[in-house]
Amino acid sequence: MKCVILAAGEGKRMHPLTYTRPKVMLPLANKPLLEWNLFNARAAGLKEFIFVVGYKSEMVRHYFEHGAKWNVSIEYVNQGKPQGTAHAIGLVQKFAKDFVVLSGDTIFGKNDIKNIVNKDNSMGLFKVEQPQDYGVVETKKDTIFHIHEKMDNPISTTINAGMYHFTKDIFTYIEKTQKSPRGEYEITDSINMMTKKKPLTGMVLKEWKDVVYPWHLLDANEEVLKRMKKEVKGTIEKQTTITGAVSIGKNTMILSGSYIEGPVVIGDNCKIGPNCYIRPYTSIGNGCHIGNACEIKNSIVMANSNIPHQNYVGDSIIGEHCNLGAGTKVANLRLDKKNIFVVLNGKKIDTKRRKLGTIIGDAVQTGINSVINVGSIIGNNALIGPGAVANGEIQSNTKIM
Amino acid sequence: MKAIILAAGEGKRLRPFTETMPKVMLPIANKPLLEHVLDALKNTGVAEVVLVVGYKKEVIMDYLKDYKGIKITYVTQDKQLGTAHALLQAKDKIKGSFIVLAGDNIIDNKSIQKLTQDKSEYSILIKEHSHPSKYGVIFLEKQNLKELVEKPKEEIGKFISTGIYKFPKNVFKKIEALSKQGIHDLSSVVQSLLKEGMIFSTNIASSWMDIVYPWDLIQVNETMLQNIKASTGGTIEKNVTINGSVSIGKDTKIYSGSYIVGPVIIGEGCEIGPNVCIFPSTSIGDNSFIHPAAQIQNSVIMNDTHIGSSSFITNSIVARGSILGHNFSSTSGEKTIEMEGEFKKVKNLGSLIGEDCTINNHVVVDPGVIIGRKCKIESMKRIRKNIESNSKVM
Amino acid sequence: MCGIIGYNGFRDADKVILDGLKRLEYRGYDSSGLAILDKKQQVYKEVGEIKQLEKTITKTKTAGTIGLGHNRWATHGGVTKENAHPHLSNNKKIAVVHNGIIENFKTLREELEKQGVEFRSQTDSEIIAHLIEKNYKGNLENAVFLALKKLKGSYAIAVVCEDEPDKMVGARNESPLVVGVGDNENFLASDVPALLKYTNRMIFIDDGEICVLTKNSVKVFNGDKKEVKKKEEIIDWDIKDAEKSGFPHFMLKEIYDQPDTINQTIRGRISEIERSIRFPDAVEKLLNNNLDSIYIVACGTSFYAGLVGKYLIEQLTGIPVFVEIASEYRYFGTRRESSLVIAITQSGETADTLAALKEAKNSGCKTLVITNVIGSTATRTADGYVLNQSGPEIGVAATKTFISQIIVLFLMAMKIGLINDKIGSDELYQHILHLKELPKQVRTILDRSDSIADIAKQIKDSKSVFFIGRGINYPLSLEGALKLKEISYIHAEGFAAGELKHGPFALLTKDTPVIVIATMDSTYDKIIANIGEVKARGPNVIAIADDKDIEIEKHADFILRFPSNSKLLSCISIIVILQLLAYHTANIRGCSIDKPRNLAKSVTVE
Repeated sequence: MKCVILAAGEGKRMHPLTYTRPKVMLPLANKPLLEWNLFNARAAGLKEFIFVVGYKSEMVRHYFEHGAKWNVSIEYVNQGKPQGTAHAIGLVQKFAKDFVVLSGDTIFGKNDIKNIVNKDNSMGLFKVEQPQDYGVVETKKDTIFHIHEKMDNPISTTINAGMYHFTKDIFTYIEKTQKSPRGEYEITDSINMMTKKKPLTGMVLKEWKDVVYPWHLLDANEEVLKRMKKEVKGTIEKQTTITGAVSIGKNTMILSGSYIEGPVVIGDNCKIGPNCYIRPYTSIGNGCHIGNACEIKNSIVMANSNIPHQNYVGDSIIGEHCNLGAGTKVANLRLDKKNIFVVLNGKKIDTKRRKLGTIIGDAVQTGINSVINVGSIIGNNALIGPGAVANGEIQSNTKIM
Repeated sequence: MKAIILAAGEGKRLRPFTETMPKVMLPIANKPLLEHVLDALKNTGVAEVVLVVGYKKEVIMDYLKDYKGIKITYVTQDKQLGTAHALLQAKDKIKGSFIVLAGDNIIDNKSIQKLTQDKSEYSILIKEHSHPSKYGVIFLEKQNLKELVEKPKEEIGKFISTGIYKFPKNVFKKIEALSKQGIHDLSSVVQSLLKEGMIFSTNIASSWMDIVYPWDLIQVNETMLQNIKASTGGTIEKNVTINGSVSIGKDTKIYSGSYIVGPVIIGEGCEIGPNVCIFPSTSIGDNSFIHPAAQIQNSVIMNDTHIGSSSFITNSIVARGSILGHNFSSTSGEKTIEMEGEFKKVKNLGSLIGEDCTINNHVVVDPGVIIGRKCKIESMKRIRKNIESNSKVM
Repeated sequence: MCGIIGYNGFRDADKVILDGLKRLEYRGYDSSGLAILDKKQQVYKEVGEIKQLEKTITKTKTAGTIGLGHNRWATHGGVTKENAHPHLSNNKKIAVVHNGIIENFKTLREELEKQGVEFRSQTDSEIIAHLIEKNYKGNLENAVFLALKKLKGSYAIAVVCEDEPDKMVGARNESPLVVGVGDNENFLASDVPALLKYTNRMIFIDDGEICVLTKNSVKVFNGDKKEVKKKEEIIDWDIKDAEKSGFPHFMLKEIYDQPDTINQTIRGRISEIERSIRFPDAVEKLLNNNLDSIYIVACGTSFYAGLVGKYLIEQLTGIPVFVEIASEYRYFGTRRESSLVIAITQSGETADTLAALKEAKNSGCKTLVITNVIGSTATRTADGYVLNQSGPEIGVAATKTFISQIIVLFLMAMKIGLINDKIGSDELYQHILHLKELPKQVRTILDRSDSIADIAKQIKDSKSVFFIGRGINYPLSLEGALKLKEISYIHAEGFAAGELKHGPFALLTKDTPVIVIATMDSTYDKIIANIGEVKARGPNVIAIADDKDIEIEKHADFILRFPSNSKLLSCISIIVILQLLAYHTANIRGCSIDKPRNLAKSVTVE
């Protein structure tokens, strides 16, 4: 039984984080999204994987190679130009006859995966509060009747969870699938054709986490960190305080005066401290430097970034190779305490969060004492000058002096 | 469902701006009118559009070649005989029901959805209007269309037709039949269908705007700018103040001391400043250079323009490629303009300057003056009357 | 030159190869063919454009996941089905596609014929298939090695053998070859864009190397049969499928693009407020270098851009500029380390220009290239590069890229002038304003297209057309003649106006119209005199003159006007007039404008 994971998408709604990496490689507790699915699938008994890659496929291939590190075997199929989920799944025809499909950017639980594995021709369902954003599934007893497109007035709260168990029958229907109004070949259309002839069982999942916008990554990061087991490989100096589940990578130094409240994960080759305060639900990638008088909480800091002197970062995501100048601070709460709105790709979105700092891409540099306002989005290679204020959506390569 | 967009017209009443491009390509908030219409069709279930083109169609086809999200097919209307005639050109591309709309009317997404989701075979989008007699006036019976009267002599009725309809495929038979009688406009087709007893359901459009005269561009620009979202690109020097919703394109540089109050959109590759003031609701296209101490307010400045130092531009349009020397002054005020035998009073109108003009220093232009394409105006001139395209003022 | 493509993977090879050939069509469109290995070599060839081959393939069904494809631009042997590639060995087991020229093919052919080999075509490429068969002892790459040792000349080949159906071998010497690395599939092609739809991981094969591709592996060997580790490059390009957008021909669309092209070329390089010119760091370094001379090497229209560039640079900087035809540079050009060598190549792959560039580098010169294609071989060879930024040019006759090359040279001239203090910031600002006038002036010319079409009617039946000009207008006359020849097939020649009397006058008759470029500068009086001389011998004179020029009406029979600009930049409007003249003439004569007979877009043979 093979496990096909769809990992080809760009994740446009994850900009600017996905300008340089595919969505499935976004880190949660320092491991890519895709790896968490790999763990859970492996725990469910699956050992042979096919990753359907596309956007920035080299990042996926470079990290996972052929799966030796996880004791699984991984093969790759390149989708090339993105043409939809049916197109992606159709490409594995020559490689798999009975297989489970997982959407690479959704987090599934191992028990749910096991259940789907054990039932031929089935698909995962989940109940949500806001079904308007998803395709609603109509079932008759346990069988799938029809998968609907997004509707303003959804007829049920059961949605398509993005996990399937197909046999080679699906390929006949994929070949017949026409382009959707979006211009893509959608697997939901193939399924709607197949259910008329062959029944597909619907199985309601217990665990399901969809990651659509950057701040969802913060939520997912928190979930994953809650279950993390403590593991210390680095060096911890005297006069440091570490409470709760804190993982520290190899060659990482925690210098005196550091105060770390878990759950927190810190990668390899980091220099932490002296005198810094790292609060719960923070992930710090490899090669980072968190310096003196810095406070970080509920944030994701990706590899090789520096928060080196007198900074505050809360409820934020910081990409790779960033450098915050001394004194740079991130605001994460509005003075009127209302929900924070964000402008992403030119659209205004209510994050429904009271606290949100900033979402920063790669290689961003800030000058000393610069100010980053709530809900700001800063694109790759941007420059925020000394004393400057960063507001709203700032495109890549912008200089705010 | 497919949509047919009528984009073949020239837009004579919008001259000189339509001398080099069809009406549907005039920019509003830095995007051609037609693109706003296409964007409104996204996510309404319309995946394919048949574009009826004619006048200067290459401009449309060249611009849309990179448009993503909707498949576009072109049909050409060689002679502009009327709206129904234009619609007829698309007949072979349509297999089922479809909606038809003009490429130069601003319409919002939700209104289109009302139409596509309406179960009736025939449906029309209508709008409340304070001066309906300028348009096709709608008379209702319960919620359905009872009568459509084009430009009635008296001020009657409350609703007008937006010209946006949903039709079944067999409407083409009716159009062909009327075309043989020399009737080429859609309103007459609708009237004829009503007489035969067809039921047209009506839906009220939330926002709909028509652009007929050049000053309408300024008005619609202001309305569309309400929807832009602030996004900063390029380089912003120190001591630049940006308030409100301001969108700045990449590679643009805003020099110190500039003061920008949104809603404002500035394109890519521009240089603004130092000490330039840009007030609502202004659109500035790509590659435009606004020199120090200029002030621009409520205006549409298109691509590749050059606005000289200390110029004052308000309630105006400056078309592509025009070069305005320093101390250019547009005066804003009321103007009575004669158009097609009618006199229109327009308030708060500045200068309307066509493409590729070269205007030298210290030129003052009276309210509502229209300067044609490729005009040359020497320094220190006071322009009181309209200037025809390709003229020189020495 | 030709385009080659090979596929070894899991998809239906015929679809992948046809797709790639369509993208490679600009390299040659005489004829095309493909071979799919499906137990046996299934070969299909057709004369004419790809559409012909596509029709044939859609009728037949070939399963088969390994195959080769080829677009031909004839060099040896006429355009026939037999001469089209792929070529098979006598035992029909080995299929080969080839881009390049085998210089010693006659001797090799005689040798092989003596050994009993039967030839089916007149091409040089076919010998490669036979040589490989002769050397084949069970291992394809060894056979290819030995075969290549006998060849003298240029090649990029792809080979597949029935006896080893999981293997494809490629080799390169002076013709471009790139490996596309996929998952469970690998590709070979003449250029990167042919493969971008399927993969963005590329390995550039160097001269003398051989590569062996299976579905899952790529191995590269050097001339000593040692395996070499090659770097896999991730290409980040956005392939935009260029379209005609409502114009009857790409060339016309590209002529009409030119007002925008001018803006695109200067975008990001000029600051009006700061009165400065900016280039990428590597280029700034090269221009800052205390240059005592500049060499420009290029071919065809790019060479003429170089000649215009010479005037511009010498006027603005005083530095001597030598312009050399790239294919001649390797034999005659002098090399000095204090010179800057600027290569101009639209595609970045022109073989002659690349060879000249390499020569210059090897002699210790600093090199810079002006090109339109990011990631091309030229950009990877030179010390710095400046992109035209003008979008893909599909029409074989260069139009917008020519204008854009001149604009880049103008910007460089201003930059060097600033650096050397030969021009001050006020003068620079004036030049910038003149530059900004250009898009609207070009639009004026485009508006006058009909009057240019009228003149085209006048010259369409001529046996010969002559173009003359002085100073900066001389290279324009060369380009005008080239454009006319290229697409209307009328013989045309450009001359320096002063040279006519030294010989070419003998050719003038009343059937040989003369196009005179007359700008109102220091060359004006002499050019008027030239018009008199020409008219005395019979032909009609069509003058290209400034809008302000009244005097010219007394002299020329027909006048095509352009809006005034500075003496350095009037050339741009004049060029657009010459392009439209050639276009309308070709159109009236019914010529194939986007794909002129016998020409290819990027010439990668020498």
